[in-house]
Amino acid sequence: MMQKFCDWLSGTWLSQLFANAGWFVPTVQTIHILSIAAVIIMLSMMNFRMLRITRSGPPLQNLAGGYVPWVWRALVILLVSGILLTITEPTRELMNNAFRLKMLMVIVLIVLTAIFSSALRRDPEYWSATPGRRVLGSAIALGSLVLCVSIVAAGRLIAYV
Amino acid sequence: MSVIDLMHALEHQPFAVAIAESTWLFPFFETLHVLFLTIVVGSVAMMDLRLLGIGSRDRRITELTRSVLPWTWTAFVFALSFGALLFSSKAATYYENIPFRVKMVCLLFAAVNMLVFHFVSERDVGAWDSGRPPLKAKVAGAISLGLWVVIVATGRWIGFTT
Repeated sequence: MMQKFCDWLSGTWLSQLFANAGWFVPTVQTIHILSIAAVIIMLSMMNFRMLRITRSGPPLQNLAGGYVPWVWRALVILLVSGILLTITEPTRELMNNAFRLKMLMVIVLIVLTAIFSSALRRDPEYWSATPGRRVLGSAIALGSLVLCVSIVAAGRLIAYV
Repeated sequence: MSVIDLMHALEHQPFAVAIAESTWLFPFFETLHVLFLTIVVGSVAMMDLRLLGIGSRDRRITELTRSVLPWTWTAFVFALSFGALLFSSKAATYYENIPFRVKMVCLLFAAVNMLVFHFVSERDVGAWDSGRPPLKAKVAGAISLGLWVVIVATGRWIGFTT
């Protein structure tokens, strides 16, 4: 069924338009990569602070307050650029296991980011209030870092799997 | 021996041949190259946006630079190393590739821009560390941001032109 959808999509005028413009895929991929860089650096700064790898600078809730809205905006850009790339080459993305794994990991990362940041908004000291919350917050931060690395790897491996 | 002869000699080295002929070594190093360059570009963009007076305005420029720059440099060394390994696998081809050459020139300009800013423009940073950055800081930030966008774009183009 997915293959049928891919075949239909690649036959549409929009897909053909994008596919025939040689500059389109590299340009959209560049925007995609720049947005990934933004997300990774912002999430890393919060995660490193939570894990106490970095200790100087503004408190965690200030970092989150400043960066998380931009993480969501960058994710929108990633979604749009990702959709454009998928429209251009449906089978390359949708039938690819590296792509599917990447999407799963992106969803998990979004959920973790939402949980982490919404708790901080309600209570700036949430993740340091008790030892248990500190462990949970650190686990989320570590998971977020691992997911960021894995998502980049999976994204590159789409071309090879 | 011409440069192109040197490039051919490089790609015939055992490690370069191994990368070129292996199904997984090139993607492996490429993935690491991309991962580290996202850290470089992201952290540089963070500092450039501060110099432009757009991002991280609540942080002093020197404090932000001091905390972020070590990560930038570390990631850059790794990105450069993995990039060199990738280059070695098809040295002669990449050497003659226009996007690759543009990328290298932009990297050089980005380095010069950073050095000029650090050794010249930043000398009186005490006066504008917390407030609105002066024009010279904004120019340095804008040039750097522009160059790194071109570096990423040309890096991507290499894969489509080789």
